[in-house]
Amino acid sequence: MAKLLIIDDDAHLRESLAEVLELEGFETRQAGSAHSGIEAAKKEDPDVVIMDIQLPDSSGFQICQTLRKRSRNTILIMMTGRFLSSEEKKQGFELGADEYITKPFDLAELSIRIKQLLSRRSPQAEK
Amino acid sequence: MPPSARRGKLAYKILFWFLLISLVPMAVVGWHLVGISQASLRKETLAMQESLAVGFSDTVYKYVTTFRNVLAETSGIEEFASMDARKQQQYLNRIMQVHLAVLELSVINVHGAEQMRTGRFLGPAPEMRSLENEEFFAETMRRGFFIGKLDRFQGLYPTALICVAIMDQKAQPPRPVGALLARVSLNGLSSMLGMEFPATGRSAAAVVDKRDGFLIAHSNPKEVFRPEARMSDEVLKIITTQTAPKGGGEMALSDGRRLLGAYSDVRDLDWLVYVQQPVEYAYQTAAEMKNQILRVLVWVVLFTILLSLAVAGHITHPIRLLREAAARLGRGQFEDLPEMMTTNDEIGDLAQTFLAMSESLKEKTGELIGAKQELEKFTKFLEKRVEARTRELKAAQDELIKKERLAAIGQMASVVGHEIRNPLAVINNSIYFIKTKLGGSPAAPDAKIEKHIKIIESEIRQANGIINEILTYSRTRELKPERVLLNNWLEELLSVYPFPPHISLEKRFDPVNPAVDIDTTEMQQAIRNLMNNGIEVMPGQGAVSIQTRVSGDRRSATILVGDSGPGIPPEVLDKIFAPFFTTKARGTGLGLAVVRKVMDRHGGSVDVESAPGRGTVFKLTLPVVSAGAPPLRNGAGPEAKSA
Repeated sequence: MAKLLIIDDDAHLRESLAEVLELEGFETRQAGSAHSGIEAAKKEDPDVVIMDIQLPDSSGFQICQTLRKRSRNTILIMMTGRFLSSEEKKQGFELGADEYITKPFDLAELSIRIKQLLSRRSPQAEK
Repeated sequence: MPPSARRGKLAYKILFWFLLISLVPMAVVGWHLVGISQASLRKETLAMQESLAVGFSDTVYKYVTTFRNVLAETSGIEEFASMDARKQQQYLNRIMQVHLAVLELSVINVHGAEQMRTGRFLGPAPEMRSLENEEFFAETMRRGFFIGKLDRFQGLYPTALICVAIMDQKAQPPRPVGALLARVSLNGLSSMLGMEFPATGRSAAAVVDKRDGFLIAHSNPKEVFRPEARMSDEVLKIITTQTAPKGGGEMALSDGRRLLGAYSDVRDLDWLVYVQQPVEYAYQTAAEMKNQILRVLVWVVLFTILLSLAVAGHITHPIRLLREAAARLGRGQFEDLPEMMTTNDEIGDLAQTFLAMSESLKEKTGELIGAKQELEKFTKFLEKRVEARTRELKAAQDELIKKERLAAIGQMASVVGHEIRNPLAVINNSIYFIKTKLGGSPAAPDAKIEKHIKIIESEIRQANGIINEILTYSRTRELKPERVLLNNWLEELLSVYPFPPHISLEKRFDPVNPAVDIDTTEMQQAIRNLMNNGIEVMPGQGAVSIQTRVSGDRRSATILVGDSGPGIPPEVLDKIFAPFFTTKARGTGLGLAVVRKVMDRHGGSVDVESAPGRGTVFKLTLPVVSAGAPPLRNGAGPEAKSA
């Protein structure tokens, strides 16, 4: 079972998203800040990390960069509540982001997308 | 002070030098001449006085000698000594009759005793005196005659004694046997002096005994007929110290008077004749001459002043004219310069130079004035430009303020929208969770719950749509223009637009299919917004019309989007493009604001024509790409995209 880490400072969003994705069959972990998120990622070694771009202690881009350095296989999904310029998006992709989703998101679509990304991961990265 | 009102300092300077040059030598020469003539006058006066004195001393001598001769004639008669007394008396009487000046006559014997005495005021039997001890008797006996012994008859009238010896002619040698004595009045001398020197008070003459100053005669009788009439000691002292028998000179007396005096001794007597004249009278001629010279000098000064004024005026006239002209030039008056005679001298040269200078000055000033006018014109032009620019700036500023306000609104909307997205996402998650849970349960879910879940999902979508609209309006997205052929592009847009069945579409495209540079995404949004609005107000049957028109000069193209709806009330017509202005129950009021923003970003404009009941037409005007315009940066040609 794939393990998901959700990093968002909004507890409701975090929890609701986690529970929906659990319904979809994922194992989820949550973190409320960039720092605790990175700690959790180190400890849990999740397959997918969904993180908000704006966090109180750091930016999602920062986490993205850190996690991508740690592992090439982790799927990194950026969450945002606002429009991103194409420059911002490019920057995110360059730092290793795999996907962008805009709040509020179609959860069915998100679930399928995650599964798709997981299935495309290189076989040697499979656990 | 106007320059012509006074003569000017130069004229007075010239005048001063004229006077100095002309008058001073004259005055000096005149004064010198007066001095010379005064000296010569003095000499002359003195010489004249001396000659008068000499002449009169001779007269005095003759006067006295006359009486001596009269006496000598009588005494010299043979046997006078031996005559009887009666005969002698007859002789004496005859003398008395002829010579009125003889006051007394006496016959004295050899012993000095008076033997006969007759006189005008003596009476019938006068006293016979013994005169043997008298010095004059002794001298008469010794010398033969005596003149002297001055006295004043009755204390007033000067008299002199004249004594002549009576000789015994028979004796060998003849010897004196008695004397004939006469007392003679000397008033005649005073009369003569008075005639010679009238009592004008100017000059006076006197006959004086130089031993004691006894005044014998004087030209002024008042001086002499006094008991103690004497010559002043001071003058007498001055004269008696002279050794020459005659002379003269200027005397300064202790009382301050200055006299010209001359004297001459009377021959054989200790008398002298003295002639005096106060210096001022002596020099009167000289003084008159001096006055005359002064008068002449005054006249000459006056005449010279007038002449000098005229000459100085004449000389300085052109200079004053020059000055006046210069003053006019200084005031900037180049016309009506005073007429300047160009004389053939330095002043003429100066005038010529001045005229040349004024000409060049006039020219330069003209240039300056021209430049000044140019400058003023330019300044006015600049002022107008500045005014125009200020107006433009003001308009731009107003626009900027408006834009800033809009931007602030947009920013706020963006923040709000963003913040709402989070809870919206949570609701969305939760409803998804519920729906999934319900769908997964074996029991059939309640139809109403499903309905409400759908409502929530629909509302979430709508809320999200509103937020998207707001964020789309407020975000600053970079414009990405493409060059398209307008008609083709619109055709493509319309072909995919979901027109409802009750709406008909009318298309009327201009045969000129203009090329325009547009951000197709935004422009599409704008036209869609307009069509959406139109369709929204036409719930029943209606028509949407899409037209294109190209301006006569082919520089702009207009897209007209019309509907056959109820139209917009005139009172709201000017507000419809404002953000958040809406008349709908549900609407952000951003649809038309987005249209205007898009048109602004494309350098175009949007306008609306509407009348209630007659539909509405929006006109979107865009610049047309001219034939020779360079391709866009992305290199997309119109044909490439519009195909």
